[in-house]
This record gives sequence, structure tokens and C-alpha cells, in this order.
Amino acid sequence: MTLVPQQRVPSGYLRSTRRRPIYVLIAVVLLLTMVVAITVTKRRERTALLQADADRILDDPRLAPKALVQGRRVFLAHCANCHGADGRGSTATGTPDLTDQDFLYGTGRSSEIELIVLHGIRSKDDKGWDLAWMPAYGQAVPYARSKLPALSPTEIGQLTSFLRTINGATGEDPASVSAGSALYEGHGGCWDCHGRDVQGDTAIGAPNLRDGKWLRGDGSRRDISRIIREGLHGVSPAFRGRLDPADARAVAVYTASLHARKDNP
Amino acid sequence: MNLPAGETQANLRKWWQPGLHDERRSLLLCAVAAVLGLIIAGVGLFSARGTRIAGVPPEDVAVVNQSPILLSDYVAQLQALYTVSLSEATPAQKRATLNSMIREELYVQRGIELGLQNDFIEVRNSLVNAVEAQQEIDGNATVPTEQELRDFYQNHLQNFQPEGLMTLTDFVALDLASAQRAVTAVRSGKDPASAMAAEGLKSSGATDDGEEFYFAAEQHLGARLYFIAKRLHDGQVSDPIADGGRVHVLAMQHNHQPVPEDFSQARDRVLADFRTDKIARMRAGTDRFLRERADVQIAKAFR
Repeated sequence: MTLVPQQRVPSGYLRSTRRRPIYVLIAVVLLLTMVVAITVTKRRERTALLQADADRILDDPRLAPKALVQGRRVFLAHCANCHGADGRGSTATGTPDLTDQDFLYGTGRSSEIELIVLHGIRSKDDKGWDLAWMPAYGQAVPYARSKLPALSPTEIGQLTSFLRTINGATGEDPASVSAGSALYEGHGGCWDCHGRDVQGDTAIGAPNLRDGKWLRGDGSRRDISRIIREGLHGVSPAFRGRLDPADARAVAVYTASLHARKDNP
Repeated sequence: MNLPAGETQANLRKWWQPGLHDERRSLLLCAVAAVLGLIIAGVGLFSARGTRIAGVPPEDVAVVNQSPILLSDYVAQLQALYTVSLSEATPAQKRATLNSMIREELYVQRGIELGLQNDFIEVRNSLVNAVEAQQEIDGNATVPTEQELRDFYQNHLQNFQPEGLMTLTDFVALDLASAQRAVTAVRSGKDPASAMAAEGLKSSGATDDGEEFYFAAEQHLGARLYFIAKRLHDGQVSDPIADGGRVHVLAMQHNHQPVPEDFSQARDRVLADFRTDKIARMRAGTDRFLRERADVQIAKAFR
């Protein structure tokens, strides 16, 4: 090994720099310790969030605040595009309002929402919701999955009169309303999804049709008949593999909180 | 400052003096940096998302031969089997659910080991469907810009028009001459119903239900008559048409030809069609990619 000749440096310089490497080393160690501590803390938080019962996180003062902050960030990045930054959706595009108590699927629990986030609705994910579509009764083949009759414009008008009347509209022709009611319970087959009581079925995503809330449009003749004519089958994408599981959990908790907030403003 | 060679204490001190060059210090620092680098790389490698070497990740409930059983699936299974949430489930319910999921995973893995995809049509179909579904999942997650949607709408306007509507009567004549006389009478201003009746034309009954969608009119009239009917305007009658051994005259009362909806009205359908189109393109791309990547050898007789 060749030794480099020792160099003489000014003594003042040595005094000021003699301990510098130690300080640098200490700083590096401190920095590393900090990084490790932050990483460990974040991992613990992530683990706690993931392994908690999703439905109880909102009531957990230790988990809820962070989950809500994280969830809102994810919501704005991935959900707000359709549901809006405030989560109120849009009746123009048929995007559900996530802040009300009118649930299309399930009962608004975080665990149910998490499954929707991960597997979607009509997303083609095998684990997602896809049990029924609103048929397009104004087309030659209203529903691809089972044989349903197409309805004539007159019949669609009668069903529209019936639905408007049970939602409080006045001025509809009574004969048309009566014929619409018969169609609803008869060969129109509407009752099969929306129920004999016309209150829908959250097990298959069939909306309540007598609560005055409309997924698309405002309940006018034009809007209702358009839905009956053209059908409705919104898609919520599956985020499995696109979102970190903790982010999916957090956004589900945040979305559940939007429903809850309505009750406790 | 002079440091005599061979003195350990002095050498140690020398190591920490940056003003002095020392090869051993350089080597040591290099080694320390290398070890640190290796540690960081190792931690990154073994703890990266999706890596399941160091224990069970918090998003999983178990790992079976490196394959995860997701906690979300486990919770869904508890709900499906016992209608309970994670915190409501009893230890016995949790154990039974987990055991059944582990068994399923083991059987899936065994099935792959045995190459069951070669023997069972159902397995093959499921795999094909699953790959196609994956393409659709990706396509359905597409979030196009508003401009992309508008461009798509403009390029596919014909897809965003509702079904046309028509109200017409299909009259049947005894012969071509009486049909022609009836048509001439209507075209000279006579009321269609009375002109037809005067010449002995009667409704065929095919379109007597009033207003109907184009597709229904096509079914009721047949392709030839429908083709002529949809070009008639309100109040017009067709020329006599010999079809199926009879002579028809079509009298159109109202014909609402389809007009494309506004973008704002059609937006949800535009988005759906945009995604469908993207899925079709992705599928075609995947087909091409798989064919190009594959080593496909075809027997001479079948080339």
C-alpha cells in the first residue's frame, strides 16, 4: 500500500474541523433514526387502519382523524371526478349523491363501501356488484341477460304517469296512471327489481322510486320516460390493484362519513 | 501536524482528520456506504408493496405459498357466510372461514400444478373470461378528459340519437289500380282515411297500436315497407307497394326521425361508449401482443 505523504495543514483549520466528521456521522445517524421512526410509525398506522373493523373506524378517536384526512385526499384524486368534490354526485350524469341516506347498494357501512371501491359496480370485476341493469324498454332488446318485452311509447308514457303520481305530481291522466300501475306490476316487470312497494332493493342496486329522489334528471316526464326508454346502468370502476389497500380503506371510511354527516351536521 | 507511523492511537486520531488523506479511512467509509446501501436496497426489496416474504402484510389475512388471502375478501366471506362484521364474528366463525379460504387457495394452486387448465373446459373458459374481464376492468377505470369525450361524441353522433318514432297506417288494396286512385286522391288533398275507404283499402292491422318505435315498426311492417315508411314525412302517403302478394299504401301521420341528443344529455352514454371503444382497442392490442410474443408453430397440413 502506498502511503501518501502527510500533508501539513494550518492548525486553525484542524481545530475547527477535527470533530466535523463526528458531527456529520451523528447527523446521519439521527436522520436515519428519524426516517426509520417515521417509517415504523406510518407502518403501524397503516396496519392499525387495515386490521381494524372498517365499520368501527369512524367511532375510533385514534384512527378516525387520520383516516378521514387520508380518505379525503384519495377521494379528491379518484372519486371527485364523477361524484364531485363534495360527493353530491350529479343528476345530469346519473352519478349518485354520496351524502344522502338514499343508498343504491347496501346500507352505507364502511365495509360495504370498501368493497365497492375495490371491486366496483358493473366494472367486470368478478367480486363487484353487477346483479341487474335498468333495461332500455325503448329498444328492440331491452335487456341482454333475460327476455323482457319492449314497451311502446304509449306504455312508457303510462308508466311515467304512474311514477310521477306516486311521487306527488298532479295533473296526470288517471286512466294513464292506472294503466301504468298495471304495467308496473304486469308485463313491464318493473316490480321484479323495484319491489311491489316501489321502494327499490339495495341488494341489487334498484333505486327507491317513490321517495322523490332521482338518480338521473329531476323527475320530469321527459327525464323519467328517457330512463325507461334508454335504461340506466352506471359503472363505478374497480380500484383493486390501483389503490393501496390502506387508501381504499381510508376513502371508504371518508365516504361513509359523508353519509353520516347528514345526520349530525 | 506530524503523526508517527505505527502508533495506533495516533492512527485512530488521523482517521477522523479530514485534512489528512488516509486510504484505510476511505476504504472503511466506502464499505460502510456499501453496507448501508445494501441494507436500504434490501429493505426496499423485501418490504415493497406486493412482496410477501417478511411475514403477512396488514392487508392480508394469510399468505399461502406466497399467494395472499386478502383481508377484504375474508371480511366479505364472513359477511356472506354468517352475516357478521369482522368484530362481530366469533373465533370459531373466523377460524372456519379462514380454513375454508386457505383450502380453496391450496386447491387452486394444486390445480395449476396439475395443469387442469389443459383438461377442463370450464377452467379454460374461466381463465379466458378472467383475462378479458381484466381488460374491461382497466377500460372501465379510464377517466377521459371532457375534450376527449366531446371529440368522441362528435365522431360518433349517430350513436347518440334516440330511437325514431312513427305513427302510420298500413292500408291494403284489392288491386294496384284502386291503390293508385286512393294515393292520387290523398295527394290532391283528400282526407287519407276517407280516400282509402272510398277505394276499398283497409288497414292491415300491423300498425294500429298508435305511435311506435322504429324497431317495432320494422318488426310489424317488414324490412321493405319499413324502409319506405321511414322516409315519409308527416301527412305523406307512399306509392302503392306490391309486397307479399298484396298491395300496400302507407299513410304517415307523424314521423319523428331520430336527432342526436345534446352532449350534456348524452354524456353518460358517451362515457360508456368511450370506455367500450377503449376496451375493444385494448383487447385487439393484447391479442396482437400475445400472438407476437408467442412461439406458435402450426403443422404443415394446417397452415
